Amino acid sequence: MSIAVIRFPGTNNENDVLRALGQIPGANPYLVASRKGLAGLKDADGVVIPGGFSYGDYLRAGAVASVEVIVEGIRDLAEDGKPVLGICNGFQILAEMGLLPGALLPNQSAKFICKWVYLKVSEETSLFTENMENAIIRLPIAHAEGNYFCPDDYLIPLKEEGRIPFRYCDSHGEITGESNPNGSIENIAGVTNQKGNVLGMMPHPERASRQILGSSDGLLILENFVRATQ
Amino acid sequence: MMDLIHEGKVKRVYQDPEASERVIIEFTDSVTAGDGKKREEIEGKGELACRMTEYLLGYLEGKGIDTHFVRTLDGPKILARKVNIYPVEIVCRNLAAGSFCQRYGIEKGEVLEKPLIEFFFKDDNLHDPLITEDAITTLGLVSDENLQFMRSVTLSANYYLKELLKQQGLTLVDFKLEFGCTDQGHIVIADELSGDTMRVWDNKSTSLDKDVFREDKGDLIEVYTKLIDTLTQAKPEEVGNRKEMIQVIVKPKAGIKNPPGEVTKKALMRLGFGEAEDVRVGKIFNILLRKPVTSEILNQLNIMNIKLLSNPISEKHEVSLD
Repeated sequence: MSIAVIRFPGTNNENDVLRALGQIPGANPYLVASRKGLAGLKDADGVVIPGGFSYGDYLRAGAVASVEVIVEGIRDLAEDGKPVLGICNGFQILAEMGLLPGALLPNQSAKFICKWVYLKVSEETSLFTENMENAIIRLPIAHAEGNYFCPDDYLIPLKEEGRIPFRYCDSHGEITGESNPNGSIENIAGVTNQKGNVLGMMPHPERASRQILGSSDGLLILENFVRATQ
Repeated sequence: MMDLIHEGKVKRVYQDPEASERVIIEFTDSVTAGDGKKREEIEGKGELACRMTEYLLGYLEGKGIDTHFVRTLDGPKILARKVNIYPVEIVCRNLAAGSFCQRYGIEKGEVLEKPLIEFFFKDDNLHDPLITEDAITTLGLVSDENLQFMRSVTLSANYYLKELLKQQGLTLVDFKLEFGCTDQGHIVIADELSGDTMRVWDNKSTSLDKDVFREDKGDLIEVYTKLIDTLTQAKPEEVGNRKEMIQVIVKPKAGIKNPPGEVTKKALMRLGFGEAEDVRVGKIFNILLRKPVTSEILNQLNIMNIKLLSNPISEKHEVSLD
């Protein structure tokens, strides 16, 4: 199915995402420059917003991209129930759009962090984590603003509605303070919208989509995403 | 017969029978000075004050400043937006004159380093005393935010009036403004703008304003006629736009972690500045406007603050017009 991979000025992970999706049968990923506006999304069955530094991360990461015209098209697709995946800067954009709750603040250390982390997949299933429930997976992160925060009136429904598919954990799957790389509230690494068809996550599944890259755990997430576009 | 809403010392305000949000303001021939102690009727003065107000408020409107002026009517009357007048008069001074000289013992005509704003509490029983900004906000007469706005608009008006007069070889010494709030919550310049509410000198420092009456130094009608005739020959289109700066300050909300502030604090400590208890880092946006600030611009800016300039989940914003 047709999957629009959106490139804003400053996005730099679009080729990794296109290549990772390209190895999944049934996926037809194509690059869409954000300047194409709504027309760029007219055939899309799903959308991926890859990582990078859209608009140089000026103002706040994702803030400037979140008011582009094409974003209204992403909002429409999300409303229609089409799957939308935001990775890293893509997650920041979805949060700035208000499509996902919360904000990605500067890392607790105030440093850019680039390393492999373990994630505990929640026991509640989701569109993106089918057959991965309770798994411990390994993906890389690379961000300066990944410190997820949301006030209680957002956090409580997120927990009650099972909308936190990924949390940072140690190699044994324990969700601990030490395994929290960036200070995210409750070790949150990714959240979904109420309908469950929009996922934002700071770790990079596309960078863990082949054994040769060090892990193929991310491929499972992308395969679930592709299945949801059908 | 129109309903009289308010009768002041030199004006009457009537309800416009055709529109509830409008009023008709009639200028009378009364002239007062010295807190109403000196009072006279001078035939034709109302007409001249009305014509000057129409011309000057119309001119400021043309420059993008919101006023209550809608249009001219027959007789010494104007049609205006109905507003609630704030009980504070704002005086802007470029040269020392009047009560400023008496209060501080400064010689009349001394050029002030920059336009000076003063506030007076409109209360006849108290004889309209000078009032501080803190007292205005503490007494709840005008909110801090609205007072900043009025101050900014007054400085804009000062620029545009001063430049227009300068074209004609005249000097704007000082002037007084009143502000009102419309039903939609827009704050606009209200009342009048004429020789009754401003001091204007020609190149020989001869008054073309109410000082002629205050100090018994000539024929008020002659002087007001000269002022309006001179003003209407000016070329408003040749007065360049004043660039206005708005500052949006975005701060991290209380209780939200601020890692950039924390590392900055550590670095300050490292450099030997041990006094810092807490450091929090925010942002400042200096926004240069094409035209004077209006309530409408501030409303739009507020939407921009929420949509773009700040993230309401983790940040709060404020607007500074200084």
